[in-house]
Amino acid sequence: MSSDVTGSGRGRPEPIRAVPVRHPGRWVAVVVLAVLAAMFVHMVVTNKAFQWPMLFDNILSVPVVRGAVTSIELTILAMIIGIALGVVLAVMRLSPNPILAAAAWMYIWFFRGVPRLVLCVLFGNLGILYSRLEFGLPFDHQLGALFGIDLNARLFGVNAVTLLSGFTAGLLALAMSEGAYMAEVVRGGIQSVDPGQAEAAQALGMRRPLLLRRIVLPQALRVIVPPTGNETIAMLKDTSLVAYVPVTNELFFQLQHIGARTYAIFPMLVAACIWYLAMTSVLMIGQHFLEKRFSRGHGPRAIRLRGARSAGAGGAVGTEVDT
Amino acid sequence: MSDEDAGGVAQAQVPADPDRYMVVADNVHKSYGRSQVLRGIDLAVAPGEVTCVLGPSGGGKSTFLRCINHLEKIDAGRIWVGGELVGYRQVGDRLHEMREKEVAAQRSRIGMVFQRFNLFPHLTAEQNLIEAPCRVRRIRRADARTRAGELLTRVGLGDRGGAYPAELSGGQQQRVAIARALAMDPELMLFDEPTSALDPELVGEVLQVMRDLAASGMTMVVVTHEIGFAREVADTVVFLDGGVVVESGPPSQVLENPQQERTKLFLSKVL
Ligand SMILES: Nc1ncnc2c1ncn2[C@@H]1O[C@H](COP(=O)(O)OP(=O)(O)OP(=O)(O)O)[C@@H](O)[C@H]1O
Ligand SMILES: [Mg+2]
Repeated sequence: MSSDVTGSGRGRPEPIRAVPVRHPGRWVAVVVLAVLAAMFVHMVVTNKAFQWPMLFDNILSVPVVRGAVTSIELTILAMIIGIALGVVLAVMRLSPNPILAAAAWMYIWFFRGVPRLVLCVLFGNLGILYSRLEFGLPFDHQLGALFGIDLNARLFGVNAVTLLSGFTAGLLALAMSEGAYMAEVVRGGIQSVDPGQAEAAQALGMRRPLLLRRIVLPQALRVIVPPTGNETIAMLKDTSLVAYVPVTNELFFQLQHIGARTYAIFPMLVAACIWYLAMTSVLMIGQHFLEKRFSRGHGPRAIRLRGARSAGAGGAVGTEVDT
Repeated sequence: MSDEDAGGVAQAQVPADPDRYMVVADNVHKSYGRSQVLRGIDLAVAPGEVTCVLGPSGGGKSTFLRCINHLEKIDAGRIWVGGELVGYRQVGDRLHEMREKEVAAQRSRIGMVFQRFNLFPHLTAEQNLIEAPCRVRRIRRADARTRAGELLTRVGLGDRGGAYPAELSGGQQQRVAIARALAMDPELMLFDEPTSALDPELVGEVLQVMRDLAASGMTMVVVTHEIGFAREVADTVVFLDGGVVVESGPPSQVLENPQQERTKLFLSKVL
């Protein structure tokens, strides 16, 4: 290209053919790693404790596959609830209403501070606390006793054991914890949007809910979506925690159960690794494309917004805009 | 009238009648923390008039403009737009803050154009124009699109309705931003340095749109450094510095024959 521009009349010089730098360190590393890999393969093949036949017999058995489906269901449901909760919490956290902001802060503080495993076990044991879950005025019996009447203001109630079955308890634990993390992700996304956008919307007479929904959140998506993909991958792995609620039809529980029953503990753990690796690999591929998609078109548009002066003239700069 | 009498008692200067002017600012004060940005601004803009606000950087021009549509709350004084107190309701001799809904209704009648355009980047030019009319004014989509087409044609971009802001030049973006504000049929237009972020060769096209708008009878308050534009288009030029109006009057007076030292100094620097 440059030869056209300069046009000095001199011919193109001969291309450079230099001797490349040698990297002896790389060869040492290759040898060391090859030896280690061979040792690993040797152990895997010769150590009888791996019980490979056991693994192959069980890894695709019906309860295990059902367990995997349960894990996927849990992931999807927990993420849907978690994302919805996260959006609500993030909006509350950034609300001018200090009560709402404080409430959201408390929620996030609690659910980010308590480990998911502890939450799962905790939710699994909520039945100890309440035989029935009831909705109504608080302290109604106590207040009634005060005035000597038999006041019962329970509006409706459900049996806690039916509501908090293992699956529901595990789902709630994961979803509510996810809500706290998603709240931070969404908050970061909202705050990444140029405040001038909200200002322009306000100047047009839009109110906060409308401008959040139509102007700010759509632009925040670019920042929100990639970490949400990561959260989903993490969630898939964390569904293994509900084995301790316990959720008996879940993948990890099933594999451990088979392992305990057949005294083939280790093969079943290896099977768990294979299952989770397979599932997260699929998600990671999705995540890769998600990130590509959401970083595209960002550059020129962002530059144009910030430095309108520098990017003013060329109308062709930002043509690869997604619709 | 009664609110005005109440206000008149406390002040030496009687403010302009808010019912006869599009904008009246009466002794407006505003501070950020301990720094006083506006220190008693008086201003009256008659319907159909163009007022250009000049002044050095940091003088409080943007802040004052943002107070007119209540993007900033003022600490003392009063602002009326179209005869209505901005941001507050007078009940007896007390002011009540307006709800967000009422403030939004007031803002929807005031168009604002920003230095950095602030177009919605995820929407096309046309979508930028119909978003607020459809969702705030609840105008039918088809009608809003027709109107958007007319407005884009008026700013010389009739064929670019489908373009995203990133696909438009700065001057084109600013013209879309003006059209977006006009789509709400405002009675007043505020401009905050609309050409300051533009390459010099793109300034003209935006000023031309503003000239046409002024000629069509729109009431405008324009913060600008374009002295030529002010001289040609403004009915009144206001020189604002240190949070006060140093000098105001017709351009022939303020620009050609300034009385105040600060005005003279500023004009000698920018001309
Ligand atoms: N949100 C804010 N918080 C604190 N100080 C502010 C804020 N906005 C403006 N100021 C200060 O108020 C003063 C006036 O600012 P303003 O933007 O109104 O000036 P301006 O006349 O528009 O200047 P310019 O020509 O640079 O736009 C400045 O000193 C600025 O630092
Ligand atoms: Mg300014």
